[in-house]
Amino acid sequence: MSVDIDPFALFDLPRRHAAAREAIEQRYLELSRAAHPDNVVGEGTAARRAAVERASAVNAAYRVLRDPVLRAEALVKLGGIDLDSTDPERGAPHPTQAFLLEMIDLRERLEDGGPDGVAALRDDVEARGDAALDAAVAALDAGEFRRAAEHLVARRYFQRFLDETDSSAP
Amino acid sequence: MAYSNKVIDHYEHPRNVGSLDKGDASVGTGIVGAPACGDVMKLQIKVENGVITDAKFKTYGCGSAIASSSLVTEWVKGMSVDQAMQIKNSQIAEELSLPPVKIHCSVLAEDAIKAAIRDFQQKQGAAPDPESEPEH
Repeated sequence: MSVDIDPFALFDLPRRHAAAREAIEQRYLELSRAAHPDNVVGEGTAARRAAVERASAVNAAYRVLRDPVLRAEALVKLGGIDLDSTDPERGAPHPTQAFLLEMIDLRERLEDGGPDGVAALRDDVEARGDAALDAAVAALDAGEFRRAAEHLVARRYFQRFLDETDSSAP
Repeated sequence: MAYSNKVIDHYEHPRNVGSLDKGDASVGTGIVGAPACGDVMKLQIKVENGVITDAKFKTYGCGSAIASSSLVTEWVKGMSVDQAMQIKNSQIAEELSLPPVKIHCSVLAEDAIKAAIRDFQQKQGAAPDPESEPEH
């Protein structure tokens, strides 16, 4: 997903992953109220359009801020690395061959495993995805955006595996 | 967005799915990934007397990524290594009528066949061409 505006700035929050949940909710209520289209009823088209755009920006920022993964990806993007880009300098870092091999091995184990095996594999990969997010947050807190991006890319691979597992489950 | 008929055909009836023996000196293996979406693609070729006699792939990704790799395995069989090295992602994208947002899937397939060829050449002891190394 793209972050065209800085959601942290819009919500007047520090650029930290550990943003307090209550602060996000509180700011969302305030900003939504302020940007509500009812406030500009009777005003010109430009003012009404601006209000709609503002409300939509607030909603988009809220969606990013309340989600731990999107929040981490937004912080990495603010640090100069866009995980949705393939640019070698500013895009998502490529995983190692060993990691990619492992992702293939995981799929082959998924195809070979019975229902119990699949459940165990799924739990294992889910835990590794969570650990990758934790590692990314730790890197973000240390200001190491490249390392954070590497962990977030790994998390996307784990997530992709989980999505496939869930969509093929009976 | 609608997939083209060719993409759907390759997706529903992928050609050459499977694996070749990675340890075989005549087999080259290319493994590439698309970090933005988590797609991963393994493409293998078997080369005999400079000609690609077999090709297999396993792709875990979207329909366009599966179709791109399936198409490439079809194309390269019977090609010389040098011919296969010339395959461009634009040819894959054109053949499958990929929309702009799916062009990266054809790039992945081009990267995969090039990686497989490089792996084969390294096994043969040929010096790899530094110009063709990926930028990562």
